[in-house]
Amino acid sequence: MAGLFTADVENRGLVLDPRTKIAVMLTLVVFALGGTGSDTAAVRAGTVAVSILPMLLLAAARQPGRAAVFTAVYAVMKAAELLLVPKTTGAALSILGMCCMIFVRLMPGLVMGAYMLSSTTVSEFIAAMHRMHVPQQITIPMSVMFRFFPTVLEEFSDINTAMKMRDIRIGGRNAEKIIEYRLVPLMVCSVNIGSELSAAALTRGLGTKVRRTNICSIGFHVQDIAVLTLTAGLYFMWILGMIGVIK
Amino acid sequence: MKGKDLINIGIFSAIYFVIVFIVAMLGFIPIFLPLLAVLVPILGGIPFMLFLTRVKKFGMIWIMSIIMGLLMLLTGMSWPPLAVSVVSGLLAELVYKSGNYQSASRAVITNGVFSLWIAANYLPLFFAAEKYWSTRQNFGQDYIDTVTKLMPVWMCPVMSIAAFVCGIIGGLVGKALMKKHFEKAGIA
Repeated sequence: MAGLFTADVENRGLVLDPRTKIAVMLTLVVFALGGTGSDTAAVRAGTVAVSILPMLLLAAARQPGRAAVFTAVYAVMKAAELLLVPKTTGAALSILGMCCMIFVRLMPGLVMGAYMLSSTTVSEFIAAMHRMHVPQQITIPMSVMFRFFPTVLEEFSDINTAMKMRDIRIGGRNAEKIIEYRLVPLMVCSVNIGSELSAAALTRGLGTKVRRTNICSIGFHVQDIAVLTLTAGLYFMWILGMIGVIK
Repeated sequence: MKGKDLINIGIFSAIYFVIVFIVAMLGFIPIFLPLLAVLVPILGGIPFMLFLTRVKKFGMIWIMSIIMGLLMLLTGMSWPPLAVSVVSGLLAELVYKSGNYQSASRAVITNGVFSLWIAANYLPLFFAAEKYWSTRQNFGQDYIDTVTKLMPVWMCPVMSIAAFVCGIIGGLVGKALMKKHFEKAGIA
């Protein structure tokens, strides 16, 4: 997994403010994943629009191939949810329902997460958090964590391969060691990488008492306003639906 | 708290959350859903005990707990985990502080208290069961019935107790592994 929080600043297409991305993410959690206001038709339609938004943003960020694949998957699964789910029963319904759940509700959020990580630099993220007056005690661990996820996953999959070769796997000869022999090496190498990381971050003055400057110019532009209007519209329709103006 | 401490929080939060995430994937199978409160505290106890050896200042455990709550909010578990993690994190912090940030037995209890937020993921299931399932009709009635049968309301306090007890077990496992591996490697 390359390109997480290491966006190529020169060549990333449309740039959104990190705060806009967070707003879209929260909207997706509320409406797509949480299913809020799904008894109102307008909100249901709006949720579809917001769910497709991450794919559009991905396309605007010069990743049209991935965007097309995700959009196609979303379209197929949404169609299946609308047309097939009411007709199936029993075990078929469980399996189909689960697939729809994963792709229709979870996937937009995951795509948004992937977009967010691949199009934002850590500096921009910190700048945005700073503007939102989030204290340093939260921003530093959060940015380290996001920076660290891909490393943990990469190390984990390498350790996994090594342990499979030693037959430490489900159904293998040494299955009882399956957890210990994965978590312990993971921890040891994470701690080592972590201390290198913190040395690197400290050289850049992270965690000092002085006010840090930031070279990133973040701010709201036309594209941010367009995206925010769309998400705000969804909340507006939800409220209208709740007080019974629209159905 | 210095920069290094904050970075340590970030690193261990990442490891912890990867474990939560892998176990949560198992939750799609009904029988594994209640087991979340069992598996996460035990497996998470291993990195958490190592994390505790790094904790020397007030607030580190609390911040990690708040971050877990925020991540739950971002991954669609709604707000109850965050509300609980803010409180349980502070309690865990106080427990470990009472041992001057070095008592090994307090560390085991700390892991138990810290694990309470995991049980909070189930709160909507008990107190807002109807709303919870209305947004999850996709799972199919069979899944819903199975889970409802597995989780009557009296299970609610049981889940919290289970998370706490398993947190203690996880703490002991973590402690044993630290003795076996990490101290030898010089990182504990």
